[in-house]
Amino acid sequence: MEHKEHLVVDVTKCRGCRSCQLACSFAKFKVFNPARSVILLEREVETGHTAPMICPIACDLCQGDPACVRACRYGALTRESQGEACKIIVRC
Amino acid sequence: MTRPTSWIVHVDLSTGTIQREPVEQGINSAFLGGRRVGKKIIADHLKPGVDPLSPDNVISINPGVLVGTLTPGSPKTTAITKFPTIAADDGKHYIGSCTTGGRYLGIALKRAGCHHLLITGKAPSPVYLRIRNEAVDLVDAQNFWGQGIEGVTNQLVRREGPETGVVVIGTAGENLVRHALTIVDKTNSLGRGGLGAVMGSKNLKAIAVNGTGDVEVAQPEAFMETSEALRNRVLQWPRREHWIKLGLAAGWDTFKHTQYPGIWPKDKWDELYGEKTRMETVEEVIACNSCLLSCRLKWMTKGGEYDGEIGFGSPFSKSATSGMLLGVEDFRKMIHLVADGNSKTGMDFYTATRMIDFVTTMYEEGRLTKQDTGGLELSRDYETYLKLYNMTVNREGFGDVLADGWLRLKKEFGLDPQEYWYAGICKGVDFIYDARASNFHPLMMTFFTRPRPHHGGSHTRTNSRNKTIEEIREQVERWGISKDAMDRIFTEAPYTGKFNVGRYTRYMEDMMRVKNALGLCTIYTYQGLIFGDDMTQLYNAASGENLSPGELVEHGERVSNIAKIVNVREGFSRKDDEVPALWFRPMESPEGRIEMKDYYQTKTITKEDVDRLLNDYYEERGWNPERGVPEPQRLRQLGLGEYADTTDRANKHRLV
Repeated sequence: MEHKEHLVVDVTKCRGCRSCQLACSFAKFKVFNPARSVILLEREVETGHTAPMICPIACDLCQGDPACVRACRYGALTRESQGEACKIIVRC
Repeated sequence: MTRPTSWIVHVDLSTGTIQREPVEQGINSAFLGGRRVGKKIIADHLKPGVDPLSPDNVISINPGVLVGTLTPGSPKTTAITKFPTIAADDGKHYIGSCTTGGRYLGIALKRAGCHHLLITGKAPSPVYLRIRNEAVDLVDAQNFWGQGIEGVTNQLVRREGPETGVVVIGTAGENLVRHALTIVDKTNSLGRGGLGAVMGSKNLKAIAVNGTGDVEVAQPEAFMETSEALRNRVLQWPRREHWIKLGLAAGWDTFKHTQYPGIWPKDKWDELYGEKTRMETVEEVIACNSCLLSCRLKWMTKGGEYDGEIGFGSPFSKSATSGMLLGVEDFRKMIHLVADGNSKTGMDFYTATRMIDFVTTMYEEGRLTKQDTGGLELSRDYETYLKLYNMTVNREGFGDVLADGWLRLKKEFGLDPQEYWYAGICKGVDFIYDARASNFHPLMMTFFTRPRPHHGGSHTRTNSRNKTIEEIREQVERWGISKDAMDRIFTEAPYTGKFNVGRYTRYMEDMMRVKNALGLCTIYTYQGLIFGDDMTQLYNAASGENLSPGELVEHGERVSNIAKIVNVREGFSRKDDEVPALWFRPMESPEGRIEMKDYYQTKTITKEDVDRLLNDYYEERGWNPERGVPEPQRLRQLGLGEYADTTDRANKHRLV
């Protein structure tokens, strides 16, 4: 079985700082713009809670070193080694 | 790469016209928020002497230069207006600037290409201002009028989309309470001193902003390299782990000393309002844009009559001081008042609760009567406080006096705010820190030297207790000031201690104006995580310029001078830069007598000491020490010669 690094999304840890979106757009386009990133930050209107949603088709995991993971320092986006060949795992 | 284009969006609420124009080439737009817009306010829009609650007042809103980038802690937006607080017995008002963070507002303005928003006039009926990239319009908001802040924010986000940045006023702003503020993105406040009332006077219930554009920097690789280095530095900060668990609630160990009101023993305060109560109540810690620390909170009250109440912001410190002052032992009751201000009314919690404390005691002492209060008996209990609070929001009866602030109380009943017993009052504004408990450090000085008295936006290492002189010196060195100035600051003298607070304050104010123009958060300069040379590197990479830290701080000096000049035109001078009389009256507390000491607590600071420090401050600025007004020569050196006549006249003819 192929061994891969996976990007793990833990939506419960997101604090809404948007660093992941800004790092993603900068890595790809050298500008800061959440709309150019492959990450959508959902916003629960009443509670204010935010959750990063990554488009699995558009995300290439930055060739194994995702800029968003480096930018997120709250544990909402992390890397993990697993034996299954999937790219993005979401934990809620 | 050249610097990205900046835009000014001018909204005239009276006519409904919207103009969008690029900032002139060659203008250093980093300082547009202070320098150029300040100039525009004076020259084009804000005439001296206008009523701040009239259509003639203007509001200028400016996201910082680094907002929307990955710079750690760069969410800040600045608003400038003439504040409605009554600042002196002659009824004048100051022009000032205030800042806010948040998750959506600043970045939305930048992405919409709205680098400088200028609002003038008055809408014929309630509206909200909607910005969607280049499309800017006014939308009917009559159905929002009378509604609370949180509900309106939720409706606007649903209507305008999940990325919407929102500024909203509450019922206090609608009712022109002079200390009404605005709430941004539900989590941050903006405009203590009455920005909420200014918006209310313009029938402007809210501003809702969306943008989809890029935020560009001139030198992307160099910018990111600096930003990454700073991010790594912040991540190494030893207190980060504790901080990200509790946000602003993490500071109790320092706070309980620096903001001690001196009524209860500290042990009792610790038990009633300390870290344990905070741990029980914090639900989530929320970060502003690009922040690695997080200080905003979502909290939920557990137990008591407000069980289950949810709030956003940072309720703990303010409720702790006012809780002690008012004698309310249940912290949940005080947090309820914070929640009410943040989610519904937009009334400034500090001023509201301290005025309630003052008038209640005046009533107990017989200096206010039932006749004065319109039949209301002012007893020292929470229910009466709530009644007074709501009467103030609605300008009902005696509440109408409270809604006009400290100096209306003086005018109506002869109750001098200088008699109040906590923290002190300057230019009609009550301070948050009591200099006796905090010691006389530079932030105390800014309370009376800045045109708008406020604690925010100017925190440096000296805000923490007992930093070594080497640490303080390092921070100042990294502002890039001259060796001569360093020597003047760090010359020990009997009236100032190991460093000269007056001279230090001059440079601190200028550097902090730079920080605010860049959009950086004060927590980072306070904790010694970002310095002046770091800001210079960031600014240069973002703008493509090549300034030194000293040149950057000189830009800050220009902003400080213009901020002063517009207030000289309003009649402000040294006599208004008055240190609160309270600071020289020892605090008699259960912990013993507390006098205002110097930073290292080596001696008691006297009025004469402070006067000498104020002289030093003006001298360091090149201002007339007698009147506290900029001298023409210094203005010309700074390239501000066009204002020289104004200040020359004021000095020569003693106009202020």
